[in-house]
Amino acid sequence: MILTLLGSMALAYSTPAVPLTVVSKPQAPAVESFAVRAKLVKLGDGTTLEEGVVWVEDGKIRAVGRGVELPAGTILIEHDGVLTAGMVAPHTYTGAAGELADSTRAFLPELHAKHAYNPSHSDFRRAVEAGVTTVLLAPRKENVAGGMTAAVKTFGDRVVSTDKHLHLSLHTTALWGWREPTSWPGAITELEKRLRQGEGAFGEAASGRLPVMIEAWSRQETARALDFATRNKLTGALRGGSRAGEMVDRVVASKLSMIVGPFAIGDDKRHIDSVLTLAEAGVPVAFGMSAPDEDPRGMRLSAARCVRAGLDATVAWHGLTSTSAKIAGVGDQVGRLERGFDADLVLWSGEPLEWTSRVEAVYVDGKLAFGGDR
Amino acid sequence: MILSLALLGSTAAVVSANEDDGTSWVVLADQVFTADGQVFEGGFVAVADGKITGVGPGGGSGGSELDVHAVTPGMIDLGVRITSDPDAVEQSTETALTMRVAHGLDLFSLAWDRELRSGVTTVLASAPDRNVIGGLSIAIKTGGEPTLEARTVKADAALRGSFGTEPSQGNQSSSGTPQSFYVRRPTTRMGVEWEFRKAFYDAVAAQRFTEREFEGSEVLQSILDGDLPLSVQAWGTQDIRTAIYLKEEFKIPNMFVDAAAEAWMEPELLVRSGIGVVLPPFSFSGRVGRDRAFFAWNTAKQLSELGVPFALSGHGTADASQRLAYQPGLAMRGGLSLEAALEAVTIAPARMIGIDDRVGSIEVGKDADLVLWSGPPFQPTSRVVGVMLDGHLILDPRETNE
Repeated sequence: MILTLLGSMALAYSTPAVPLTVVSKPQAPAVESFAVRAKLVKLGDGTTLEEGVVWVEDGKIRAVGRGVELPAGTILIEHDGVLTAGMVAPHTYTGAAGELADSTRAFLPELHAKHAYNPSHSDFRRAVEAGVTTVLLAPRKENVAGGMTAAVKTFGDRVVSTDKHLHLSLHTTALWGWREPTSWPGAITELEKRLRQGEGAFGEAASGRLPVMIEAWSRQETARALDFATRNKLTGALRGGSRAGEMVDRVVASKLSMIVGPFAIGDDKRHIDSVLTLAEAGVPVAFGMSAPDEDPRGMRLSAARCVRAGLDATVAWHGLTSTSAKIAGVGDQVGRLERGFDADLVLWSGEPLEWTSRVEAVYVDGKLAFGGDR
Repeated sequence: MILSLALLGSTAAVVSANEDDGTSWVVLADQVFTADGQVFEGGFVAVADGKITGVGPGGGSGGSELDVHAVTPGMIDLGVRITSDPDAVEQSTETALTMRVAHGLDLFSLAWDRELRSGVTTVLASAPDRNVIGGLSIAIKTGGEPTLEARTVKADAALRGSFGTEPSQGNQSSSGTPQSFYVRRPTTRMGVEWEFRKAFYDAVAAQRFTEREFEGSEVLQSILDGDLPLSVQAWGTQDIRTAIYLKEEFKIPNMFVDAAAEAWMEPELLVRSGIGVVLPPFSFSGRVGRDRAFFAWNTAKQLSELGVPFALSGHGTADASQRLAYQPGLAMRGGLSLEAALEAVTIAPARMIGIDDRVGSIEVGKDADLVLWSGPPFQPTSRVVGVMLDGHLILDPRETNE
């Protein structure tokens, strides 16, 4: 396992003789530097630390380890549970109050989801309480080309990154009766024409520099989207694909990642089997959050259901954090507990994939967003 | 048994057909109809790796034996309406020249399996006839892996157009005032003809002046060159005449009218223009289509005598009485010979869209698409007891004969 000290900067600050201020409840620290020690720390890269410490400074993770030496006066929060990075929802419409679809035109690649971001929206409070600290806002599936995605924090009003994907929809709701296109042949013809013409976001996508995110849910939609992406050599992810596992060879050939779920209790078992097949074939899989339509906690439940059906627990957890962050285009900033990453921390009462475990406290960018003493 | 297999979908059906662990078959039949002019009384068809490897009188060897009364090539339907979803119709344009119906197909639909199990192994899938020019059709197998890659016989096998009231009547607003997207021009036969003529006029202009090229002009150009067949729906006599006049005006070499129920009324024009004909399913009332065109029983016989290339069609409807397997029998009731009836559901449609190098007859090297019959083919008392697609036994005569 890991590791005592991370980097020389940490050493420079260490004054081990001076006692720390140890508290048992998460707090909103008065200073910009604090640390959390937990019974179990899941780093998000597959490593788990017993009695690990995460040291936060100025909203970033300063050090992670078992023997992190903290400067004098640092508040050390003792947590009798599990500490993880905040979960990342790789595709959501949350907190935008229905402002993510434009009904008049099907092709709007110049739009930016960040302009629909309302950080004080109550959806985000619910997301924080569920342990979700970063979400990728996506233009809705009602437009064939809805615009550019934006990764935002669920607390503290911060756009992490924008324009990381061109959002496309080959979901049946992208075809409306009163605007063009009204048909699949019409939608595909127009998409391929724009990719061929190579202007703006479509040009970036055609060259493979800009990933796409394509919504497609039913079998025929999924097959159509995979054919379309493969034919045009697009990179990125597919959102939906409830039964994509049944055509796993085509998913692998497309090199697309998959954003699956959420799965409610009683949902079609074939949808769960599909996830298992995809993961087994090495397809990067992340769990989507259909908020605000559904409870954001459904994201974690979806992963738990897949683990119950046989999905590797580490793969499932990464599908909520590091894999998810990577698909969302922010894998170098969030989704893992690592030096330099955003200090998005979730303090759990127990193993997060156990449904009985609760979120006890959440920090976003080093600020206490939920739980504890504020 | 058959029903449960159908519900599982065609992939499952293919898997179940492999129980002989093979793709090698010898079909022994009292009658082998090759559709290339030969009939073997007491013959065989040998199949290996999806292809026909032998055919002739007597017996063959080298595979699992299937013993049936008759075997014919898999049937081909150029007039199926398998894409009836609203998702498949582009309402925003009258001339969808570059759109491919392939992008709108649902290969998971049970409609394909229904066609396959009734003996139709290849179809020309076209856009629904709501546009004057609906886009590019695809020649596709009705079974196999549900991917375009696996099933396509010929991509861009024809361009689809439509005359008559179907592309125009839906455009008329109930209030009299156009107020929604669905209310497009044209609203009359005249308007439909004008859209069609304009598209080809523009194509001819683009041929002469490069600055007049437009999106899709290359598609019309390949029609004018005869490289791409043009398939147009035309039920009634006035629509058939319109189609023929346009064929002659623009010198379109390779064109056929689909659903041409009243073709019997235009014998001279058909012969003069060299146009092909696809007939709709027969109707006991004699009236067919939304315009209630009159479809005479002896139409197929008449076309055969005139030497007009023609095919029969079941239109791919769920109505069992309209299945393609029944149409030859009904055409024979109107006087058509068995030989001509067989050709009209196999090699004739294959030739009309240029896929006769792969399908349409029982010849060595062609795809092993076969229909196995309990009695003389197309007779009302004969059943389709077996279907083979690319060497896979989809419907097993050993089960259906029990």
